[in-house]
Amino acid sequence: MICKMDRKNKVAILSNINTDPLVRLLSKEEGLDVYAPEGYGGELGALLNPSSALNAYAPDAVFLLMDQAQLISQEYDVSTAKEKIAQWFQAFSSAIKPGVSYFLSDAYLYAPDTGMLSGTPVRQQLENLWQEEFEHLLKKHPNLYLFPYGDIIRRLGEERAFSPKMWYMGKILHSNDCLKALKEEVVKCLHLLSGIPKKVLLLDLDNTLWKGLAGEHNITPVGLGDDGVGAAYKNFQRVIKYMQTNGVILGIVSKNNEEDAFEILANHPHMILRKQDFAAYRINWEQKDTNIKEIAKELNLGLDSFVFLDDSAAERMLIREALPFVTVPDLPERPEDLASFAVKLYFDYFASVNLTEEDKNKTKLYLANKQREELKGEVTDYQTYLRKLDIRLIRENPLENRERLGQLMNKTNQFNLTTKRYDEKELAELMEDKGREIFLYRVTDIFGDNGIVGAAILHYGETADIEEFTLSCRVMGRQIENAIVQDLEEAAGNRGYDKIRGFYHPSEKNLPVKNLYPSLGYIQISDTDKEAVYELKLGEAPKREYVLKRETK
Amino acid sequence: MREKIIALIENQLGLEAGSIKETDLIEDIRGWDSLAHVLIIGELESQLGISIPLEEAIEIVTVEDLLAKAGV
Repeated sequence: MICKMDRKNKVAILSNINTDPLVRLLSKEEGLDVYAPEGYGGELGALLNPSSALNAYAPDAVFLLMDQAQLISQEYDVSTAKEKIAQWFQAFSSAIKPGVSYFLSDAYLYAPDTGMLSGTPVRQQLENLWQEEFEHLLKKHPNLYLFPYGDIIRRLGEERAFSPKMWYMGKILHSNDCLKALKEEVVKCLHLLSGIPKKVLLLDLDNTLWKGLAGEHNITPVGLGDDGVGAAYKNFQRVIKYMQTNGVILGIVSKNNEEDAFEILANHPHMILRKQDFAAYRINWEQKDTNIKEIAKELNLGLDSFVFLDDSAAERMLIREALPFVTVPDLPERPEDLASFAVKLYFDYFASVNLTEEDKNKTKLYLANKQREELKGEVTDYQTYLRKLDIRLIRENPLENRERLGQLMNKTNQFNLTTKRYDEKELAELMEDKGREIFLYRVTDIFGDNGIVGAAILHYGETADIEEFTLSCRVMGRQIENAIVQDLEEAAGNRGYDKIRGFYHPSEKNLPVKNLYPSLGYIQISDTDKEAVYELKLGEAPKREYVLKRETK
Repeated sequence: MREKIIALIENQLGLEAGSIKETDLIEDIRGWDSLAHVLIIGELESQLGISIPLEEAIEIVTVEDLLAKAGV
């Protein structure tokens, strides 16, 4: 497991059974800062009581591993259980605070006596009670996530997962094997929470997406199908397709005749991935490092956002040496391991617990961008091009788009004036802050909705300060920033300020916006290594140049 | 087998090899608290297939006791 947690997470493990061994594993083997509750079963009290030791510890992430059999006192009566479970969820719901992430175990009913329910619907009914309440709560709280407890038990099997002896000795229900699996899952969840920077998966074709070589025979001999080795490649593609629908951008970098490759992509009956699933491709006989650099330019993303898969060890070595920022994992030797390899790849590099609409539609967005570039090639005059695009800048409500706001602030590197990062808690505080106004923008044009792509924070103090200003690289270079700055200046003016200040904090990546404020007529008033401050008298603001319509939702 | 069991315990407790002697009282061994005890009994079962019954597991006082109950 690759661990790249941005900051040290403070973690709490709460349960109604003894989870001390898990706490011990997490702190000893993973070096995590874990809150160890005294005893067990006081999870709701600890969460609800503002002066509890748990709240004094102030965890970033709370894991609730609830044993349902104990929660209903091993009384397997559906109507009594329904009431108890509803009560528990009601109390838990009121204990959920913004700024903290909660992971709750899903349904799995087990105690040493649950075997007697076998052959009756009771067990399923009891588990359903839990799942229904859980699903209802998931919709209500964006910071509540599912901890896949049931999957872990089913994977291990009850006999391996539970230890009645340890249960009787110390109310420890889970075997050592199961505790290790639970530990790994907790680490995985934390890993997902911290967000991972990879965005693009680049794929070779022959012997990577299918068995054999394109163009050597007709379509069908390429190994891909529902049986044997071909099925292994098909499942590999299924996982990759799932990644794509979850926001991973796909690309092809392969040495083939483009025609042969497209023939398979378009017409092979067993292809899961089709041409429109790929946001960029270089199918030619050029060196792959050159091709990857071109794709990076085309998508306007840094090389450190890329993961490259190729069955050829020589190609992998070339990319590792020529482009050290690109991540190049080894492919498994045996096709039967491909699908599980891809699943692990997803969780190691791409997965995030917070999926926004923008994430899900990324490929579409990048494809639309390509069309925009093509239009740019057709019209010679830039202003005409922008007019043809018919851009709309729509102000959005930050309260309804908190996850996207967090993403923009925390993941944007190039167009980011101060690169200030916000954790969940700071973001929650920012929302409440009356002295600051958040500006969040969606951009649309004739090719579609670009999603929410810009954010700025204006601090109304002694002066009006643009504390943060970030724009997704997808929409850079369309004068959108000019319109946003005008919005900020007008907001400051409406509050009676006669001046507005902007800040630039240099980072490794934000050089493109170094001269943003001077180019907009701001005067530099101070400059250190870490910060340049600019100021503009609002009465003297020049007319901002942009070709778009500003709208408020 | 005796060495194997002791090595497993040392590993579980994060102690250096050779730091546990058969005559040691378990309460004198660093880290061997009641929780570690349960985990060691669990580990003997899953790693070495040695199942010490519940009632005997809670009577263990010395490492020798444990070895005897494990039947080695």
